[in-house]
Amino acid sequence: MKNNYRQYFWQHILPHVEKPTRYLGNEVNAVVKDHQEVALRVALAFPDLYEIGMSHLGLKILYHIINQEEKWLAERVFMPAPDAERMMRELSFPLCSLETVTPLAAFDLVGFTLQYELSYATILQMLTLANIPLTAADRGEDDPLVVGGGPAAFNPEPLAAFFDFFVIGDAEEALPQILELLTENKTAARGEKLRLLAEIAGVYVPSFYREQRSKSGEYLGTVAAAADLPAKVKRAVVTDLDQAPYPTDFIVPYGEIVHDRLVLELFRGCTRGCRFCQAGIIYRPVRERQVDTLKKLARQMVRSTGYEEMALSSLSSGDYSGIEQLVCELGAELAQEGVSLSLPSLRLDSFSGDLAEQVQRVRKSGLTFAPEAGTQRLRDVINKNITEEDLLQAVREAFAAGWNSVKLYFMLGLPTETDEDLLGIADLARKVVKAYQQSSGRGKARVTVSVSVFVPKAHTPFQWVGQISQAEMLRRQALLKQALRLPGVQFQYHGVQTSMLEAALARGGRELVPVLARAAALGCKLDGWDEHFAYELWEQAFKENGLDLESCAQRAYAAEDPLPWDHFDTGVSKGYLLREYQRALAGQVTKDCREGCLGCGMAVLLDEEDKGVCASADMD
Amino acid sequence: MRIWIKFAKDQPLQFLSHLDLLRLWQRALRRACLPVQYSQGFNPHPKISFAAALPVGVTSEAEYTDIHFAQKITDVEIDKLQSVLPQGLQIKGWRPVPAAAKTLMAMVGAQRWQVTIESAAAVQTSLEQLLQAAELPVQRQRKKGVKTINLRPYIYRLEIAAADSLEMLLAAGNAGSAKPREVLELLGLQAHSNVRCIETLLQINGFLQSPLAVLLNEKEVSVNAEKDYYQLR
Repeated sequence: MKNNYRQYFWQHILPHVEKPTRYLGNEVNAVVKDHQEVALRVALAFPDLYEIGMSHLGLKILYHIINQEEKWLAERVFMPAPDAERMMRELSFPLCSLETVTPLAAFDLVGFTLQYELSYATILQMLTLANIPLTAADRGEDDPLVVGGGPAAFNPEPLAAFFDFFVIGDAEEALPQILELLTENKTAARGEKLRLLAEIAGVYVPSFYREQRSKSGEYLGTVAAAADLPAKVKRAVVTDLDQAPYPTDFIVPYGEIVHDRLVLELFRGCTRGCRFCQAGIIYRPVRERQVDTLKKLARQMVRSTGYEEMALSSLSSGDYSGIEQLVCELGAELAQEGVSLSLPSLRLDSFSGDLAEQVQRVRKSGLTFAPEAGTQRLRDVINKNITEEDLLQAVREAFAAGWNSVKLYFMLGLPTETDEDLLGIADLARKVVKAYQQSSGRGKARVTVSVSVFVPKAHTPFQWVGQISQAEMLRRQALLKQALRLPGVQFQYHGVQTSMLEAALARGGRELVPVLARAAALGCKLDGWDEHFAYELWEQAFKENGLDLESCAQRAYAAEDPLPWDHFDTGVSKGYLLREYQRALAGQVTKDCREGCLGCGMAVLLDEEDKGVCASADMD
Repeated sequence: MRIWIKFAKDQPLQFLSHLDLLRLWQRALRRACLPVQYSQGFNPHPKISFAAALPVGVTSEAEYTDIHFAQKITDVEIDKLQSVLPQGLQIKGWRPVPAAAKTLMAMVGAQRWQVTIESAAAVQTSLEQLLQAAELPVQRQRKKGVKTINLRPYIYRLEIAAADSLEMLLAAGNAGSAKPREVLELLGLQAHSNVRCIETLLQINGFLQSPLAVLLNEKEVSVNAEKDYYQLR
């Protein structure tokens, strides 16, 4: 089998698995290169099923950046579905890349996307399936370097032992620097490579940093083990997004994937300052692409893929300075080819019926709004800065434009939440149904209320807050379920235990390393899928390491406590986050920083010349 | 302009479902800048359909698609289309079709299948028994439960073509069909045997003929006596 993994896989595994199109690897626009002809081989691993991983923009960007260089190659790998995984284990067939069916262990670099905490156990399963030693310390000179990047890399400590290094921040410029360095130092020893990598902005080598604890085991901080290392790892920032590489040759899957469409990233960053939102902090400042650049990219994307839908993507697309021009011009152009536009992240206060109609020229899809909380008081606490009237105005316009269904997103368990806030959700739902009856009256409105459980995240103003207890989550869900028994309203919610695990992993430190190793050994994987999530096994993994999962999720930090992610510099200062937290507790809102610099610290991290929105920052 | 295209669906595309194939064609047509006509209505969809759905895992050299284009099509456009189709999808031929003609799906009557077998001698007996049987009950899973049907009338021909190959002419389409897998099971052969579709035939008044061979005149479809055809008993 040694030399012909491909033939073996196609003969003995592929014909017997569910959804074989997940593993074909020869989709339109997939890049196949000769391994002997390149200087460096990278496996881009996404720790979830094909249909999730293939929906992710970051992976497409990295694939494009690497493969556009003749001297490098990148191939994809996803977590096999349980049926294929079982078969691979039985046949001792190692985890291989899709494009050339090459074992992961034969690559120079294996990069994992750290998109969400619930994928951590899957990473370990993939390493095991690939026969790559689980911990960096156990890997030898012949093993690939294992790197992680993505939003969850902003607190990578729970994964510290499993990775050789992490990339914190934007990869567009950091990744080519890393690959260049590895190409030039191909024969250097692992340790030497890592020492050189640590000099690149955004690179964090966990083995070069030590966790300090008091005699009683209390966490005191994580410090550099050598004098020439930075005390804080600065995040990599792409300053000119307009010039940054962007993939127009999306791989076109055969089977349906979760977000089966083109994605056009309008801008990165968000100035709104919602206090629960990690993306709003770690992608600062706002960096836009120009309308002309976007139109050009859009045209190329349709030509090279033939996709029937394109999503305009960002954290809050209504905030894009050229949104009306772009939607109008691009919408008209794409409609001629039968391609529809969608605007999945539109804030309530920037929604208009006109804009929505422009977007939905070809096909009308669902509309989703995110008020996040049920009362003005709580929306002020989280700094959502939208009013009930904003919501009602938006749905009235949508109904007038012909929609009859809307989806509303809320969170449960936000700091300071009371039953009154929860009942406010039902009140809003009732008003939306009424707005429909008043503005149209044709048939019935369908209002879906989707409520998730709040998960506090590192690098946000709510990073110090613990989650409410499981019993309390269930009580509040039941309260909502009762209150939302309304005509025309459908209530959607998920099990609370996945949110608890997410919270426990999101704000932990290196004490979670053995927990993750144990959970993987117990068989945990694909925890974002209800059918695979096994809470008891996770509880057991925590318990066997002297920890309690629920207590970890509920843990509150004091303002002066050292936090396990303090040695990562996002550009936003801890003082700013604390000030925002205190304003939250006082119910005070903070305005959009486009209206005036709030001194979050971001302006200091950037170069003098180019600061995006931060160009006008008040530097005192 | 409406046309029928004959194409092969080969390695590595045998794992694509019917829906995957439809999506693949729609996207290829857009890559080739060949606008397709859309149906009218609230949710317009492109006018593309197929003669029959090929089972997943099976290859074919005779698939047919029926497409209404919003423009004139010549060999130049077909070459352009071929250049954006993935490896494994080869256009074998095409013809213009009157707009009023019935769909391929409505007219398909049979398909010819080639099956690679280990030894012809080993199947000879069971093959003869099967052909002599008056009834061949098989069970099919339906939404409302299991239904038993008699497969015999749907098996038109069954013969050893070579020492390692079997050929089957089986009914296909709305008026009743036999699936290659069902016949192979009756013969005691593995369902995973190497199966390939070698022709798809339209049914015209008791005759079977390839869509590229039949005579078309407005709504009328008739057998072209100058080309190969089968006559049903």
